[in-house]
Amino acid sequence: MFDWPLLQQNAPLLLGALWVTLQVSMAALVFGFVIGIVVGSLRLSPVPLLRRMGGAYIFVFRGIPLLVQLLFIYYFLPRVGLPNVSPTAAAIIGLSLAAGAYIAEIMRGGFLAIPGGQLEAAGLLGLSDAQMLMRIRVPQAVRLTLPALVNEMILLIKASSLVSVVGLADLTRTAQNLAASDYMFVQDYLMLAGFYCLINVPLAYAASLLERRLKERTA
Amino acid sequence: MNSLLIPGGKAPAPPYETTRETTRKSLDEPMKTNGEQSTVLTLSQVGKSFGNLRVLKGIELQVQRSEVVCLIGPSGSGKSTLLRSMAFLEEYDEGEIRIEGQLLGWQDTDKGRRRAPQSQINQVRRNVGMVFQQFNLWPHMTALGNVCEALRRVRKFSADEAKKRGMAMLEKVGLGHKAEAYPAQLSGGQQQRVAIARALAMEPHIMLFDEPTSALDPELVGEVLQVMKTLAKEGMTMVVVTHEMGFAAQVADSVIFLDQGEIVARGTPRQIFHNAEQPRLQQFLQNYLDRNAFWQDAKP
Amino acid sequence: MTFDASIFTDHLGDIGSGFLVTLGTWSSGVVLGLALGMLIAVAQVFGNNLVRAPLRVFIELIRSTPFLVQLFLVYYGGPSFGISLDPIPAGILGLGVYGGVYFAEIFRTGFQSVARGQLEAADCLGITRLQCVWRIQVPQMLVMILPALVNMVTVLCKETAVLSIITIPELTMVLTGIGSETFAFVETLLMLCIGYLILVELCSRLGMLLETRVGRFMSRQPR
Repeated sequence: MFDWPLLQQNAPLLLGALWVTLQVSMAALVFGFVIGIVVGSLRLSPVPLLRRMGGAYIFVFRGIPLLVQLLFIYYFLPRVGLPNVSPTAAAIIGLSLAAGAYIAEIMRGGFLAIPGGQLEAAGLLGLSDAQMLMRIRVPQAVRLTLPALVNEMILLIKASSLVSVVGLADLTRTAQNLAASDYMFVQDYLMLAGFYCLINVPLAYAASLLERRLKERTA
Repeated sequence: MNSLLIPGGKAPAPPYETTRETTRKSLDEPMKTNGEQSTVLTLSQVGKSFGNLRVLKGIELQVQRSEVVCLIGPSGSGKSTLLRSMAFLEEYDEGEIRIEGQLLGWQDTDKGRRRAPQSQINQVRRNVGMVFQQFNLWPHMTALGNVCEALRRVRKFSADEAKKRGMAMLEKVGLGHKAEAYPAQLSGGQQQRVAIARALAMEPHIMLFDEPTSALDPELVGEVLQVMKTLAKEGMTMVVVTHEMGFAAQVADSVIFLDQGEIVARGTPRQIFHNAEQPRLQQFLQNYLDRNAFWQDAKP
Repeated sequence: MTFDASIFTDHLGDIGSGFLVTLGTWSSGVVLGLALGMLIAVAQVFGNNLVRAPLRVFIELIRSTPFLVQLFLVYYGGPSFGISLDPIPAGILGLGVYGGVYFAEIFRTGFQSVARGQLEAADCLGITRLQCVWRIQVPQMLVMILPALVNMVTVLCKETAVLSIITIPELTMVLTGIGSETFAFVETLLMLCIGYLILVELCSRLGMLLETRVGRFMSRQPR
């Protein structure tokens, strides 16, 4: 059932595409993290309007299928005068916006887990709100949410399989192209699945390890 | 029991009254003549290890019909493990436990001992009722639902029959008015009484109590002990692991003191509580008194 | 940007059928996923290691690969295994397997959340393992895992959009099709977004309603 020479011929192509997938996912994680902190803080803001805005962001970007979001970006950006956005940029924008919504919920949980007394103490010492966010809340929230963030990375890598709709030749699209030319569907798609596992299984293991360590420390 | 353990009670001159022998004898007789066998539970050379730790060693015990046996001892002495073995919630690995003559939990084959099939285990212990320290009620069922569940599913009662029996059992523990309440809406004492009713509904020949009052607030202990006393008076065969020495003294026919997995002393309450000879038992009772007889040290 | 409503009135029939296909694949996928998930969870909780180990691997594999890739394997790879499915059955199977694995993990934590003592009590009364699962564990864990279940159901709703890639004529495919026909991309996509938001919101509202319903026994107040 397997054609080994063909497999050996295709593997390097997929390996190259894996790099594209990883780059896009990593970039989306970073930008998503920034969005997540902002939106997560908005959700906990004392100002009702800001809380609403944070909530609306999460509602929209979690509620709409990623595929539809990506399609929207693909067709929408040219209409608002950005016709030359590269597929890579479009993919990163799309993934980041969606990741931001999920990470915002994760960070909100992280922020809430920090004992309020610490912030009171920081406030009494004269730290500004921004300082408090960057020096006290974010570092601790990251520590508490690290397992969830690693899981988010896995989700992003999987979600990035949809970026071919904005014209990017990622891992999945490359495998699709290969399969379309050699008709070895099972072989090509199994290899594709294998490449995803190559990255995601260790990540999942890392996440569960981190989670266990966190539990031990907080217990 | 009120006199000794409830603060504000009179300091008792003889610390434990042993009234039980006189009150119960007459009630015993009819039950004993019913079954040809008067020994309900027999343990011979029962042992149990967790890894290298031997938590039970060579336990010999017989419980007669209508007898009330209290197991006392320091925590970690193995008394709970022993009691749980009697319902095969712990797999004892040496010796034999027999309930009304039938071997519990194990099957002898030519290849040695094997765990008996579940149906056979259930058959042997169908006459054993168990009450737990943590009540273990099912929180998604009402009090009546808890009592009726096994009647319906195991004894195959009709809904009406089960409800009738269930209500009778709840009345018996004084909770007929709480039949429709969920466990979360009941106090600890009430929950434990429902748990007792749940076990009683199956008409067990022997009831096992695993520290039934240890998880209760002090003011709720009395109502549970009262129900247990009533059961004892009616001739129920009972094995009780307890820290309530007052209850053991008043209600038990025999008291067994366990320490480090062994039976160190056994006897009537009077023998155990008044004439303790074994140093370990003396130490245990002294500790207990030091903890509970605080009024002796009260400032004038 | 002008909004031309005639685009939708002209294609009302197509949109309606696309909506029905989305609803149909979604609900069938959820039902299949729940059944599969319960089966896997029960096998994991009560099975021996011979059952557990391969299941663990299967779960890990499904969770590590994108839904789209699984869909490709079922739809394009299936014929090589003698399973030629039309797009819609393939899509439902894909949704069911994908959802089933996540549902299984939810059910498994649910099983573990019911205190051991309650099972011992049932055991002592002669209640069988199977009766225990259905009468004692499942009703209690449902309360605990309902939020996670509802969340997964909404995830599956969103995943139905991916089915358009294997040419299932569901909402996304129909509306993008209309878009490329009329060049009204933004309008159709906006409509699509609103459609999914309504579906997902309805689903989580229903879930919350259900939560207050089934969780009543946890409250301390008498009814």
